[in-house]
Amino acid sequence: MNPLTAVIVVLVLLAATTIIGITWRRRTGRVREVSAETVSAGDIGADTLGERATLLQFSTEFCSPCRATHAMLLPIAAERTGVAHIDVDLSLRPRLATRFGIAQTPTVLLLDAAGTIRARIGGAPRRDELVARLDDLVKEHRVSA
Amino acid sequence: MSQPDPATASATSVRNGIDPRGPRFGAAITATLLIVALFLALLGANLAATVITVIVVASFAWGAIAGVQRHPYGLLFRAAIRPRLKPPAELEDAAPPRFAQTVGLVITGVGLVLQLVGVPYALAVAAALAFVAAFLNAAFGYCLGCQMYLLLVRFGAIRRSANPA
Repeated sequence: MNPLTAVIVVLVLLAATTIIGITWRRRTGRVREVSAETVSAGDIGADTLGERATLLQFSTEFCSPCRATHAMLLPIAAERTGVAHIDVDLSLRPRLATRFGIAQTPTVLLLDAAGTIRARIGGAPRRDELVARLDDLVKEHRVSA
Repeated sequence: MSQPDPATASATSVRNGIDPRGPRFGAAITATLLIVALFLALLGANLAATVITVIVVASFAWGAIAGVQRHPYGLLFRAAIRPRLKPPAELEDAAPPRFAQTVGLVITGVGLVLQLVGVPYALAVAAALAFVAAFLNAAFGYCLGCQMYLLLVRFGAIRRSANPA
């Protein structure tokens, strides 16, 4: 390969990787509205779901953002009555990854009082977006109850 | 209200906490070496490209076997870089970067072996793949273990489940 072509290949790789990185940064951690299936406590090996809402977190073993996300969600749930935070390690339950179509961790599913998946966050959540969506969900339950 | 899942192993406790910027500093050095190796391989300077890749493979092997804390880049970071930075906001577990080092070792190791047995462009392809991962980690904090590990588990390359759900 002549030097000019080699330089071009290297620059294209650098540019493509930068675009991948910027795109990933922009998308990761956003709250996406989904209307999907209903999850029961038994499905995920938990005792109960939250009375008003559940932050269902999926983690894996070698995942630093999963730990940071756990530490973020724990107090968010603790400060709100009827909101549960459940952290499931997919390394031990790979079939759940297939069922919920999870390709990356952390992934957080926001469940309403009935256990229906209402929102989904891939990657470490953005705190403000998550809290806003969660509080909407809790309010919605209060109005309907 | 929060329920700890029995399947989650000590998610909040950080054993052997490390400064998360340390592995990213190491990834920046690795990414630089890999793109130089790629360039040399494309030029046909195979000996030089192979020598640099051997250094990268050895560095990944060191990180995968001894852990990132005992890695030369980690020591360099602690001696030369960290004193100039503010203290880290939080410490991280050393296991995820070690997993990433193992993935890097496999990719570059396979490329190196294929190159040595005469597969054309094997080294260039491996260097390019490893460069993408190292550069994303260094520049954007992208976490390879978060994406790859689950895929490996789902495809059955890693089996850990005592109680499949």
